[in-house]
Amino acid sequence: MRVAISYPPIVNDLGQVAMVSQNRNVQYFVAPTYLLPVVHAQAATWLRDLGHEIYWDDGNAQGKSFDQWHRDLLAWKPQMVILESTTPVMKFYWRLIERLKKEMPDCILVLTGYHSMRRPDETMKECPVDIVLRSNHVDFVLRELVPFIAGHPNWRTSCKVDGLEIRESADRWRSTGTFKQVQPLDLSPDVDRDLVQWKSYAYENGNYLRTPGTYATSVIRDCTFGKCIFCRYNGPDLTFSTRSIEKSLDEYERLIEQYGVREIFDDSGVWYRGQQARQFCEGIIKRGLHKRGCYFGINTRFAYLDEETIRLMGEANFRFVLLGLEACDDATLEHLNKGYHVEDVRENLEWFTKYGMHPHLTVMVGYYWQTQEQLDKSVATVRELMFKGLARTLQVTLCTPLDFTPYHMECIEKGVLLTNDYNDFDMSKLIVKTPIPHERYYEAIRQMYGVAFHPKFILRQLAFLASGHARDWEFLFSYGWRALRRVRQHVFNLTKARELTPPK
Amino acid sequence: MSGNIAVNLKPKVIHVRDLTARCYVLRVERLGMSFRAGQSITLGVRRMRVNREYTIYSGEQDNFFDVLIRDIQDGIVSPALRRCAPGEELECAGPYGSFVIEKPEDTSRRHLFVATGTGIAPFHAMARTHPNLNYRLLHGVRLLEERYDMADYANYVACVTGEQVGDFRGRVTDYLKQHPTDPQTICYLCGNGKMLSEAYDILRGQGVPSDQLHVEAFF
Ligand SMILES: Cc1cc2nc3c(=O)[nH]c(=O)nc-3n(C[C@H](O)[C@H](O)[C@H](O)COP(=O)(O)OP(=O)(O)OC[C@H]3O[C@@H](n4cnc5c(N)ncnc54)[C@H](O)[C@@H]3O)c2cc1C
Ligand code: SF4
Repeated sequence: MRVAISYPPIVNDLGQVAMVSQNRNVQYFVAPTYLLPVVHAQAATWLRDLGHEIYWDDGNAQGKSFDQWHRDLLAWKPQMVILESTTPVMKFYWRLIERLKKEMPDCILVLTGYHSMRRPDETMKECPVDIVLRSNHVDFVLRELVPFIAGHPNWRTSCKVDGLEIRESADRWRSTGTFKQVQPLDLSPDVDRDLVQWKSYAYENGNYLRTPGTYATSVIRDCTFGKCIFCRYNGPDLTFSTRSIEKSLDEYERLIEQYGVREIFDDSGVWYRGQQARQFCEGIIKRGLHKRGCYFGINTRFAYLDEETIRLMGEANFRFVLLGLEACDDATLEHLNKGYHVEDVRENLEWFTKYGMHPHLTVMVGYYWQTQEQLDKSVATVRELMFKGLARTLQVTLCTPLDFTPYHMECIEKGVLLTNDYNDFDMSKLIVKTPIPHERYYEAIRQMYGVAFHPKFILRQLAFLASGHARDWEFLFSYGWRALRRVRQHVFNLTKARELTPPK
Repeated sequence: MSGNIAVNLKPKVIHVRDLTARCYVLRVERLGMSFRAGQSITLGVRRMRVNREYTIYSGEQDNFFDVLIRDIQDGIVSPALRRCAPGEELECAGPYGSFVIEKPEDTSRRHLFVATGTGIAPFHAMARTHPNLNYRLLHGVRLLEERYDMADYANYVACVTGEQVGDFRGRVTDYLKQHPTDPQTICYLCGNGKMLSEAYDILRGQGVPSDQLHVEAFF
């Protein structure tokens, strides 16, 4: 079959492009950040290996306008188009599917993504999509679905592959049940870098200190923890599965040797912990990959990695460590099911910095219960951690209920949502009722980002230079500049925030 | 989606009960935390700044928490918890998870529980909490001594791989292949990812709908 895996460019009235893919929150940016959708890239590779023709069609990363993307897709004459969506761009996708269906009536349109996965009926009603995936294990579902469709003209009624909502006629569709949650992850192939045009993602990514950088094929599917209430990896339909260490090390070696990659990031919800983390680092060191000028980066959570493991990570040339510090008061951490205490944070960060890593904090504000006191704690703690050099960079976002996560459901149940228009869920403004005015949260974000321009922070970065690590010089001169650009972008987005009033 | 809001507590250790050289039950204060059988908590030794998830082994009606833990050689948290003395304060948060029985009061619903090793923990909590539950438990172990607290179950089948004894010689997956499951059964699988994946495929192949298969991975 001729299968297109497509990401249309989505541009808002401010000329900003939406970043959509996997467990990421859609945000609109002028300065581009191109993130490889790893699971879809594995799906593309797997389908190609099974003999299907694949069109890797990321209009954003390939720098296309919407019209260009659209023309190219139609000209390729796909038999199936696979799209990925999330709450804030659902309406865009429904209209796009309507249009594509008119233009290519025989083409099978498939929608993936966490929103439609959890509410397939809604999407079936709203647009003429043929299939909605009820699983985020897109690669495993498609490797069964595509060959089935290719061999069965009556697939609409006969297909029994788990994890699908299939349209049988204009107003009738059926479910094939939930999809298997635990996969032998090693079955899914490593991403074929050439197939997905890896270079189009290798430079414009704010998290790389060195380029070209790339995303590894993730070692954990979903999240070992998977309990945080705002996270898409929390759901009764999800657990986690793990890739083998050796397979992953082989990929790292190939990326460095064959592709000359200089920074590798693993975007698993949380990366390995304990024994597996140590075995991975030992493998890197044994293969000499820590001396090849390539940095490694991961997502983790507080209270997960112990000091000895972090020491080994330092030795193995890990640099970028992304940690969610969603709040700095225990009541909020409890409510969010974060599974750690505020007091764990400082010591964990001390270990990372002691062994030369650059912790990046992802902070959130604007929970529907968050008081001024709780907000002030976040601002004060984050500023202190940055001034002390315990964290190097940060990203602050407005907590936005999305994709029917437990937080989203809770906001619906408590009646605190200020809008039902999915377009409003784009994280540019608060969309929940809060105990203090929204402006206070925006101000808190400005204060946290303001750290980047503060003399104390700059002096701290200069002090790091004494450590003699090349990464600290690189940080100050190249990455620091890019980080400032991103800070400006975030602050700009906030000043453009349109306020919502409660619906009557 | 648990239905409970998680809390952070600092319970004291009541005692450690050794079951085998590698496995023990840790009993800690419950401190009023409510939970549903099958849910887990995170536990860590104080000031260690590292925690791990453990499924609650005791019943909803017990006024303490038991957890069944495998002491992992070179592990971080599992050996540290074993060394705790009574009275020592731990870090605890939870409860978490949705690996729970949907309608425990409905005794006409047949349940199949499949576990390997410490993956039996949620089923112990379920069996204790819902004594009238209609279930069969398959427990995959290497040695007979790993049939932890087997007397606590109404319908327990040990699938033993390392000794020529036991209710069934072989893996739980071998048992499943040889004893096909009625597709009406509601199945809960807990343990390591490899077993879960294989058992899932077998049960699907025997006609159990995917909506009736619940999975909890430990590692
Ligand atoms: C939802 C959930 C519930 C869990 N419930 C339990 C439980 O009730 N009892 C329990 O003992 N563990 C349970 N675990 C596993 C537990 O969280 C830890 O992974 C385990 O205690 C090892 O931690 P560690 O720091 O000692 O070792 P680490 O250094 O983190 O490494 C441990 C390694 O040991 C292996 N391993 C982990 N758990 C087990 C196990 N139970 N049996 C055999 N090998 C294992 C894995 O390969 C892992 O990489 C659960 C995990 C999850 C995600
Ligand atoms: S630890 Fe991170 S990835 Fe995992 S559930 Fe929580 S927020 Fe999601």
